[in-house]
Amino acid sequence: MYPPKLQQIVDLFESLPDPEKRETLITYADQAKNQAPREGETFDLEDVRKDEECTDTVGIFLKVNPDRSTHYRVTLGPHVQTLTKAMTSILCKGLEGATIEEVLEVPADFVPKIVGADLVRQRSQTVYYILTRMKSAATVWRNRDRAVA
Amino acid sequence: MSEYAHPEALVSTEWVAEHLNDPGIRLVESNEDILLYSTGHIPGAVHIDWRADLQDQTVRDYISPEEFAQLCSKNGIAKDTTVVFYGDKSNWWACYALWAFRLFGHEKVKIMDGGRDKWIREGRELTRDVPTYPATEYPVPEKRHDKEIRAFFEDTLEHSRARKPLIDVRSPGEFVGEVTHMPEYPQEGVLRGGHVPGARSVPWKRAVRDDSTFKSADELRAIYEGEAGLKPGDDVVAYCRIGERSSHTWFVLTYLLGYEKVRNYDGSWTEWGNRVRAPIEKGA
Repeated sequence: MYPPKLQQIVDLFESLPDPEKRETLITYADQAKNQAPREGETFDLEDVRKDEECTDTVGIFLKVNPDRSTHYRVTLGPHVQTLTKAMTSILCKGLEGATIEEVLEVPADFVPKIVGADLVRQRSQTVYYILTRMKSAATVWRNRDRAVA
Repeated sequence: MSEYAHPEALVSTEWVAEHLNDPGIRLVESNEDILLYSTGHIPGAVHIDWRADLQDQTVRDYISPEEFAQLCSKNGIAKDTTVVFYGDKSNWWACYALWAFRLFGHEKVKIMDGGRDKWIREGRELTRDVPTYPATEYPVPEKRHDKEIRAFFEDTLEHSRARKPLIDVRSPGEFVGEVTHMPEYPQEGVLRGGHVPGARSVPWKRAVRDDSTFKSADELRAIYEGEAGLKPGDDVVAYCRIGERSSHTWFVLTYLLGYEKVRNYDGSWTEWGNRVRAPIEKGA
């Protein structure tokens, strides 16, 4: 249903009681800065912008390999919410190596499984934002790919 | 330069740093970012969540007096404890929590000026250690002071019809009806845009400086009295979209300017803008 690495993360969260879920989310949030592009990395698509839906600038960097597997990097402005930071790490790790098509087909229903239903609530809809941006980048790349085919 | 009407209600980060170990004081962090407290908070501070702790989990209302007493008890707050609130977003949710504590009659309340961001900017200590305090015997409040500091739809409608002072603290775009949510936030299910007829637009942000600290009493008077036309003694209702930004303005008018009759319409635009046949004005 989900790309294998994302499925592993979902399975981990589903096995945790709520307090440990929160602690694990914080651990992922702490790792968000490690998801930024590294020295020497190159990308096929870079999309850095500040949207109305998010409290700060988010940059999505996408590399697509010849076998159509993807590698994402993400930069976050300092004011993004903790859940958004956590989701950034989860998605960068969970979608690593997934194909463009697999990324586009990831259903958003994994979010409440990870975050917990009580955290997906008013004012927390930005938990979906990073996935939306990653899919948006994947769509742009696929459309370009089709155009040159 | 004039003083705030209740200067004791506002404390600096320095003051908080000097009182971290004061047993008569409890620091309470209240944020919009629901995981922020867990990433680090002021040593000794407890976390009170605006939705999970202060609101009823079924009905759109606040917790009962019994639940409030339990909340205070488990956080080591006694009836005579001075509760100092702080948080993210220029203290929106800190003011909201303070207002909710006042709903239950808790008297000793303060805001840490500048909030969490100022504390961090100053390089002050943060910890991830969650404190525990001995449970207190907090007495169950006899009532909730809804009538005094809270306005409901009918109160606000009456206020509008009587052309009594109504302050809309949302962003200008929300006030004129161009948008139904504030910049950077998701739509929260409002069907109509605009404002309550007769309301004056004074965005909450006008009350604070760039560092989120409150402006001086003179500056605040110039805004709320000079520009918006409020007068001491006015019966004022403030609203926003779900009641948190208007809690901030409620704090300004009540504690910093000393207005004695200010109510927060916490149903705010998410109620008004969805209500069938509620009168709406658009434009500036």
